[in-house]
Amino acid sequence: MIDDLPVIFPYDYIYPEQYEYMCDLKRSLDCKGHCLLEMPSGTGKTVSLLSLIISYQLHYPETRKLVYCSRTVPEIDKALMELKRLMEYRQAHGANDPSFIGLGLTSRKNLCLNPDVNKHREGRIVDAKCRDRTASWNRRNILEQTTAATPNNDDDGDEIELCPFYETLETSSKETSMPLPSGVYTMDDLKDFGQKMTYCPYYLARRMIPFANVIIYSYHYMLDPKVADLVSKEFSKDTIVVFDEAHNIDSTCFEALSVDLNTNVLEASSRSIKKLSQRVEQIKQEDSQKLKDEYEKLVEGLRMTTEARDEDLILANPILPDDLLKEAVPGNIRQAQHFVQFLNRLIEYLRARMRVRHVVAETPTSFLHHLREITYIDAKPLRFSAERLSSLVRTLELTDLEDYWALSRVASFATICSTYEKGFMVLFEPYENDTDKSPNPILHLTCLDPSIVVQPVFNRFSTVVVTSGTLSPLDMYPRMLKIYPVIQKSYTMSLTRSCFLPMVITRGSDQVAMSSKFEVRSDPAVVRNFGNLLIECARVVPDGVVAFFPSYLYMESIVAMWNEMGVLRDVWKHKLIFVETPDAAETSVALANYRAACCNGRGAVLLSVARGKVSEGIDFDHNYGRAVVMFGIPYQYTESRILRARLEYLREECEIRENDFLTFDAMRHAAQCMGRVLRGKTDYGLMVLADKRYGRADKLSKLPKWIQNCVSETATNLSTDMGVSMMKRFLKSMAQPFDQIGQLGVSLWSLKDIETHQKGKNATAATQKVAANTNGSSAVVPSG
Amino acid sequence: MSTRNPQKSKPDSKEDDMLIDIVGDDNDNNKMNAGDDGANGYSWEEEYKRSWDILEEDEDGSLKNSIANIQNQKRRRLIRDTETLQRGIIRHVYIVIDVSSNMADRDMHPTRISVVLKALEKFIHEFFDQNPISQLGIIVTKDGLADKLTNLSGNPMDHIKQLSDKKVKDLSGDPSIQNALDMAIDSLKHTPTHGSREVIAIFGSLTTCDPGDISKTTEQLKKNKIRVSMVHLAAEVFIFKQLCMQTKGHFSVALNEDHFGDIFLESIPPPPAVVDEKINSLQNSNMLVMMGFPKRLKDSVVPTHCVCHHNLTFNGYQCPQCKSKVCSLPNNCDVCALALVSSPHLARSYHHLFPCPNFEQIDDSKAPNNLVLAETCYGCLSPLSLPVQKEQPTKNKETSKGSKQTHMVQVMGPTYRYKCPKCQKQFCIECDIFIHENLHNCPGCCATANPQ
Repeated sequence: MIDDLPVIFPYDYIYPEQYEYMCDLKRSLDCKGHCLLEMPSGTGKTVSLLSLIISYQLHYPETRKLVYCSRTVPEIDKALMELKRLMEYRQAHGANDPSFIGLGLTSRKNLCLNPDVNKHREGRIVDAKCRDRTASWNRRNILEQTTAATPNNDDDGDEIELCPFYETLETSSKETSMPLPSGVYTMDDLKDFGQKMTYCPYYLARRMIPFANVIIYSYHYMLDPKVADLVSKEFSKDTIVVFDEAHNIDSTCFEALSVDLNTNVLEASSRSIKKLSQRVEQIKQEDSQKLKDEYEKLVEGLRMTTEARDEDLILANPILPDDLLKEAVPGNIRQAQHFVQFLNRLIEYLRARMRVRHVVAETPTSFLHHLREITYIDAKPLRFSAERLSSLVRTLELTDLEDYWALSRVASFATICSTYEKGFMVLFEPYENDTDKSPNPILHLTCLDPSIVVQPVFNRFSTVVVTSGTLSPLDMYPRMLKIYPVIQKSYTMSLTRSCFLPMVITRGSDQVAMSSKFEVRSDPAVVRNFGNLLIECARVVPDGVVAFFPSYLYMESIVAMWNEMGVLRDVWKHKLIFVETPDAAETSVALANYRAACCNGRGAVLLSVARGKVSEGIDFDHNYGRAVVMFGIPYQYTESRILRARLEYLREECEIRENDFLTFDAMRHAAQCMGRVLRGKTDYGLMVLADKRYGRADKLSKLPKWIQNCVSETATNLSTDMGVSMMKRFLKSMAQPFDQIGQLGVSLWSLKDIETHQKGKNATAATQKVAANTNGSSAVVPSG
Repeated sequence: MSTRNPQKSKPDSKEDDMLIDIVGDDNDNNKMNAGDDGANGYSWEEEYKRSWDILEEDEDGSLKNSIANIQNQKRRRLIRDTETLQRGIIRHVYIVIDVSSNMADRDMHPTRISVVLKALEKFIHEFFDQNPISQLGIIVTKDGLADKLTNLSGNPMDHIKQLSDKKVKDLSGDPSIQNALDMAIDSLKHTPTHGSREVIAIFGSLTTCDPGDISKTTEQLKKNKIRVSMVHLAAEVFIFKQLCMQTKGHFSVALNEDHFGDIFLESIPPPPAVVDEKINSLQNSNMLVMMGFPKRLKDSVVPTHCVCHHNLTFNGYQCPQCKSKVCSLPNNCDVCALALVSSPHLARSYHHLFPCPNFEQIDDSKAPNNLVLAETCYGCLSPLSLPVQKEQPTKNKETSKGSKQTHMVQVMGPTYRYKCPKCQKQFCIECDIFIHENLHNCPGCCATANPQ
């Protein structure tokens, strides 16, 4: 269908923007470059992406693997469903794709089948329990015990059983290399399959990764260096990597490399050090050979790594620089007990730092310098501490890995801190916020430069596709992430009717300006105007209304004030009110009730927070959200020191002004919130931006193009009552019946439309050429 | 009483949707500005009503074009599904009116409720005019309760009198769709199965205050084959729309007063009967309904009681079965429960079953060559304007006057004539509208039909 590539698209009709999207995607695949694409939410991004890439994969002989990274588990599952549908459609249309495997990978928590393990709800515990059951030395121990039938368990008091699912997988995979028949597996399919065959789905998925054509998993598996090492290092260079919903890719990067330490962590780690040293002593007495072996190995490591260097260039560890890999573990921590002491010293030092009662911000270099002065710890061994720790754990055949998480966090802190001189900052805050009296010291090691994390990925893979519904302004991302995309494009939505109405309400009916600016945000007049806007929305808009506030703190204060003013009572007359809280469980209950209220005609208002759970990944389609109201601009908390450091870094390194970044960040969140209301072309919704500052051009221009296109001149500076009358009119006109026939050829294309489009394109190109020629000739004639 | 046509057709909902859509488009352009206003509803807060913008003079200062446009709109409204299909012409309809505080809103002038009541009065008259053997009842709902204003009855005056009731004038609280529907179900359950059962609701409120699970009510409605249609005055509400869709009714939203009147009156022609596959062959196919055609009693010297109202009257109709006297038709005999109608009533209901076909619109200038263009309208004999090409050769030789005339014809823009697809006779737009709105028979077809 496109150029010379036959694309099978699983629907009869295609949106024009989907077509363009696929064209651009194909181009960037052809030239093996990165691309940055923005397409409105609800226009079938995922399906066009998948159908193009899969057609591409199967059409060309050299199969390029597709790695599709999404953000949350439900999104991963949705993408898998889409893939499954697509493959079924392909099958039905005669495309025979044998040995096609598509699967998703997520954490053990979501995939575990072992009833003893998955009863725990926290991911960390599940991980640890699973590792207890599957680590090779444990399995050997247990096997020995069961064969010897001696219940005398001297290792630890816990009774650990083998996981039956893992065991059968283990035995079967020895026999056959492909435990999984080809096909597309959603999470549930994988679990069912695992249940039937008693295979562990998690390990099955991991084992199948080298064979799979399409892998769908979360960002972290690609970006987080700790995990990526395990999962993603086997991908070859021409793998196609897709980051969907990538508007928050930079914050994911920050998270991946930032480590926070507080007193609890230090306590826990010193406890585990004690345990560790005991264990080392014990082993020494029992079996000193083992430690010696390890020592030998570490010495040899020097030679080993040089040999493996050629490979390393291809499969470079995404995070540690190459020069680090070339080196072996330095001598002074090769001995187990030395290393333990070394760690002990480090923790003592950190604890000493924690006693300070004032804020300290310094670069890693100065931190290390200070460290060396006090404890004589060099940067070089520090760099290896994480690696050394894991090797030690392996040698000591430790169980109960969950006890050691604190220690490993300290070790990774040390490693990261000593590895990077630039792009990081060590920040020590003795109080949680400025008003607190009781100290709760936290030591942040924050990553300031998202490109550190992303860069290796972009360098390693030839094609990385970054896509989302809200990426505007597009030039920000390449600058921030230091990538050079071959194509960056934003698509508009082709619509037969304008199915969403963005409007900016700048003042209340009493003409007092509305703003969430810090100086005026608690002004009663402003709060009252916000309240009136909400009342009017509740009165006029049917079913669901979602309101977003910039922060929890602000929401709490404003809701309290509304309560006193009687605003809530008035809203209550028209709709029920639900509130998002930081607690995930509470929020999900509120959401469920909100949906129920939207369905049975009572109507509801959901008060939530931009950047909260609701604003990311939860859709308010159709009746669940007929209107989104943004109260204020969701700026970040600018007093935060981490943010300040980041801004400073961005200014110096990427030449992005603080204000630009803040606005950019706020507007992308606002756009994200507003995008929640519209999922598809039959849907319609109102988008209300209630802040004076939205009216300015610098804010509006940062909205995605598809929203910008619908902002009319008149709708940028409204008072509440004018806005309400616009809303009413919009809702009435949108409620008129809407049929598909009118859409055909305009916003829905059949195959024929595409062909005519292609022809037209060629024709215009040809005429342009001709015109150019005639121009040229006519220019020649007079001169001649 | 139902007739059945072997040629089954798809439900015409889609066609009707289109119809509404067309109207909506027109209103978007012309009337959108007019119908809305601000939150407080003061007229000076509204946008300008530029009603004069619709009228445009052409170069000669004539308004003919604009008028033709308006007429065209009207005609388009009339285009409807003319396929003969089974329609229940005996209808039992409950009208549910929201009389909650939301109806006091002034976004329709003077208030929503008064607009509704005015339209309702017209509706009732029209309804009984077109569906003489059907019955109507009114339910109002407010404060979360439903109240039956009138019972099912075939007398328009019964209902219209009640519309000025205090219950309707006092607006308070929230409506309850569930209570209202339950009440309608209770009453409609007992109506004979040969009639269609419908609820037409007019709502202005965006919420409903229900005592229980609305889905149970929906189930009940489906079980009892009650069709719910709704005209909403503000916006599309999910639950209402779903309710209508599940019961195979229509959900529409009024843009303004005129649009409201239009879409409300759309429910006057009886909807196609719901064909239930399972019992279709047994029940629906050949069901006969007993009806009496009573004899009119001559004016008596002494007034006698009628059985329906117990009034003393001089004249009336005598039930052919039990010989009791009723004072008006159509009616059900209170003594023997026989349906009493007169033959004109039946005849009037028939046109829904065999509607007059939609006429084809022919653009004079683009008419196919093989078509003989009639010079006059078959209905009123007024001249139909001739296409330009035909006029030009004759006028060529003439002087400037002639050229001016051709010029004028061109300025007139496209002129249309309307052709009956059956008898091929051509009509002007006025006759087209008259035939479809009032006459319900094509004069051409009637004249040419063979005498048998």
